[in-house]
Amino acid sequence: MSIKVTNLTKTFPAPGGDVHALSDINFEVKTGQFVSIIGKSGSGKSTLLSQLGALDQPTEGSIMVDEQDITKLSGHKQTAYRSKKIGFVFQQYNLIPNLTALENVMLALEFGGMAASKRKDKALELLASVGIDEDQARRRPGKLSGGQQQRVSIARALANQPALILADEPTGNLDSDTGQAIFKLLHDLTRSHQTTIIVVTHDLDIAGRTDQTYQLKDGKLVNYKIGKK
Amino acid sequence: MNVLTRGVRGAIRSPLRSGAIVIMLAISIGLIIAMLSARAGVETKINDVKANAATGITIRPAGVMGFAGGGDPLTADQVSKVEKTAHVTSTVSSLTDQLGTDDTNLTPSLELGKIGERIQRFEARGDSAPAGPVMISGDGASGKLPTPRTTVTGTTDPNSIATNGGKLTITSGSTIDGKGDALEALVGTDLAAKNNLKVGSIFTAYGKTFTAKGIFKTDNRFQDSGLIVPLATLQSATNQAGAVTQLAVTADSSDNVASIVSSLKSSLGDKVDITSDQERAESSVASLSGISSLAMTGVIGATIASAVIVLLTMTMIVRERRREIGVIKAIGGTNAKVITQFVTEALTLTIIGGIIGLALGIAVSGSITQGLVESQANQPATISSSGGPRGGGLNRVIMGGQEGLRAVTSSVTPATIATGIGLTLLIAIIGSALPAWLIARIRPAEVLRTE
Repeated sequence: MSIKVTNLTKTFPAPGGDVHALSDINFEVKTGQFVSIIGKSGSGKSTLLSQLGALDQPTEGSIMVDEQDITKLSGHKQTAYRSKKIGFVFQQYNLIPNLTALENVMLALEFGGMAASKRKDKALELLASVGIDEDQARRRPGKLSGGQQQRVSIARALANQPALILADEPTGNLDSDTGQAIFKLLHDLTRSHQTTIIVVTHDLDIAGRTDQTYQLKDGKLVNYKIGKK
Repeated sequence: MNVLTRGVRGAIRSPLRSGAIVIMLAISIGLIIAMLSARAGVETKINDVKANAATGITIRPAGVMGFAGGGDPLTADQVSKVEKTAHVTSTVSSLTDQLGTDDTNLTPSLELGKIGERIQRFEARGDSAPAGPVMISGDGASGKLPTPRTTVTGTTDPNSIATNGGKLTITSGSTIDGKGDALEALVGTDLAAKNNLKVGSIFTAYGKTFTAKGIFKTDNRFQDSGLIVPLATLQSATNQAGAVTQLAVTADSSDNVASIVSSLKSSLGDKVDITSDQERAESSVASLSGISSLAMTGVIGATIASAVIVLLTMTMIVRERRREIGVIKAIGGTNAKVITQFVTEALTLTIIGGIIGLALGIAVSGSITQGLVESQANQPATISSSGGPRGGGLNRVIMGGQEGLRAVTSSVTPATIATGIGLTLLIAIIGSALPAWLIARIRPAEVLRTE
């Protein structure tokens, strides 16, 4: 999935005047690229991710995903876009607490339109691919470690074979070793499935190992570092 | 696992909180069921009273009330005219008489008392009286001593003597054929005890030998001290062929009572007094109507309370789980699916509360209904004491109405349960409306903003 962002602007009204979270952002991501976005807190990283994931509407600009402007989609089509083409990985994992790991993954499969009879096997397969065994799959998130929860979160993100994974600080709550393992998992995906990944991170070490890194500063996007590790 | 299963599981996610909510709902829904049952029972009774008592018309010779007043009895010709009047479905003819000590070998079971002596004071002066002991008054005038008497009612329907408006209670033996002319009688409990009469016992009256065919009981001492015989038997024994002192008429509908009364007044003229039970029946069910209104108020109040409980609970749950809702939307869940899940949660809590409430309501509906009825029935009521039970049908209606009031029972019918279920669903829908609106407003982007 290729992405082309043109003149993207997001403004929030505030008592002291409008706040420009994103100002005239332009960048392009090619299919299968692993891109990182770094920046200080409040620099607009999560806002940019929201626009790319069709979670929010920009004030101006366009986001062309495979030649289709997702900012022009209806609410219903944006939901379909999220369920079939996008996988989200969050810093806080955001698993549904009263569902087991297996059921969390099956939930995404349900939203993707998979037949009920196939969901369980597919979910177990996805969980196994991220290193979650069947015993762990039957536990609720509260009974799993942070790293295990993030693996479940990645399995959920992969459920409908998305072309794009948007990860918001995926290693932010994990220790160094676990963070490295999660990064490797995401990195391998880009190579094995040609999945495009855009990750927001504070971790410059991780950012340095992606295909391309952008920095968000006061709502503006600049090239920070380009390179492959 | 589909959206409905998730909704059901979500409802029992926090057992303690869910339990508390279910208990509150169960109490409210139980109250709804109990009030609906009370209302159904009361409405049934109101319709029953209106259908029966309100169709009654009583015709008496003009100027006669019980054994007071004076005038000529109704004739067979007049009775025939009444029977042929349009919309008259049935008639019960009665003739009453009193047995003095010379007329029978029975000993009266009623004490004369001051009221009886007062009534007979003219007879004591020798104005007129059945045969009896002679009294010499202080001014030298002689007369009969006041004596208690035994009332005899000749009727075409012995059940018309029942004071509760229903069927006459026969404690032993069997009833008599009111339309026959046999020398047989139903003996009041008190009179039977006073004279050691049992079923099959014989006694004399009007120079004839009667057989006690049954013993009846009305819990009214005046009635229980009397005799009931077939109308024709009494007419024959007292040489009053065709005479009737009271004619109870039943109309086919309470709507036609007024026209029948008008028609009878026209055909019978001023020789008779005609009264209908309609107004008295309306009055006697007024308190029941009050209970019905009170019960409906209770139903509405409990429904609103239940809806508020569900609404506040679901609003709290939605606010607590705002982030979870955002996540579901972010990974592709539609508004419809999320709303369905939360409405299912509300429905699950409401249905569990409804089932417990239904059982609770059925269990307490009887006592709640009785409590409501007793509180209304114990309100002061205006019941005339003149004339005694023979004073006429009006008193009988009122007495029947009062006993009927206390006889109201809660009615848990399929309609009551269906209404209860309908209200339970309404509670869930109303209680879910605001939370659903809140859910629709939650933007998935909030998940990332709170990271």
